[in-house]
Amino acid sequence: MPVTDEIETRLTKAFAPTELIVVDDSERHRGHAGYQEGGESHFNVKIRASAFDGQSRIQRHRAVHNALGADLVGRIHALSLDIGV
Amino acid sequence: MSAEQQIKDTITANDVVLYMKGTKEMPQCGFSSRVAGVLNYMGVNFADVNVLADDAIRQGIKDFSDWPTIPQLYVKGEFVGGCDIITEMTLSGELDTLLAENGVAFDKDAADKIREANG
Repeated sequence: MPVTDEIETRLTKAFAPTELIVVDDSERHRGHAGYQEGGESHFNVKIRASAFDGQSRIQRHRAVHNALGADLVGRIHALSLDIGV
Repeated sequence: MSAEQQIKDTITANDVVLYMKGTKEMPQCGFSSRVAGVLNYMGVNFADVNVLADDAIRQGIKDFSDWPTIPQLYVKGEFVGGCDIITEMTLSGELDTLLAENGVAFDKDAADKIREANG
């Protein structure tokens, strides 16, 4: 499964988001550290879910990291997260 | 000395520490560059630790904070966040508050300029 779909699947399952946008931003980083041919190295994620209500910024990020899992986070060079309710 | 002990010593001895890829003069990654750039622009006196220069620290800092990515900012020994969080806190003014509460000097006008330019 492409990494973009994998991210969407895991976050949808964990948070039932009202909004979820996953963008493979790898091409913009061509030539930079971590770039690999074929992309799938740099991702921007925007997620909105009531599950994050009352959580600090760090708690929200940790929740997303945990939902993605160490295996997936380890495969991604860069993950930019915009998390809200 | 273990990586964990080195990290504890560093974040205890320095009010503000940025674990980053590269140095504040020559960042090696866009995310590290952004956070170092904000702190430099705001005139914050901070210690930089280049994780690319030490594999034990590079892994050790991730284990220490239970946070999978670099950069990582520490103020008075407390983990504050990575690039996304520091960017959000800069724009919201929360970073100003955090620094002020911890007695860390910074240029308020410069911080306001960042917000004006990104408002």
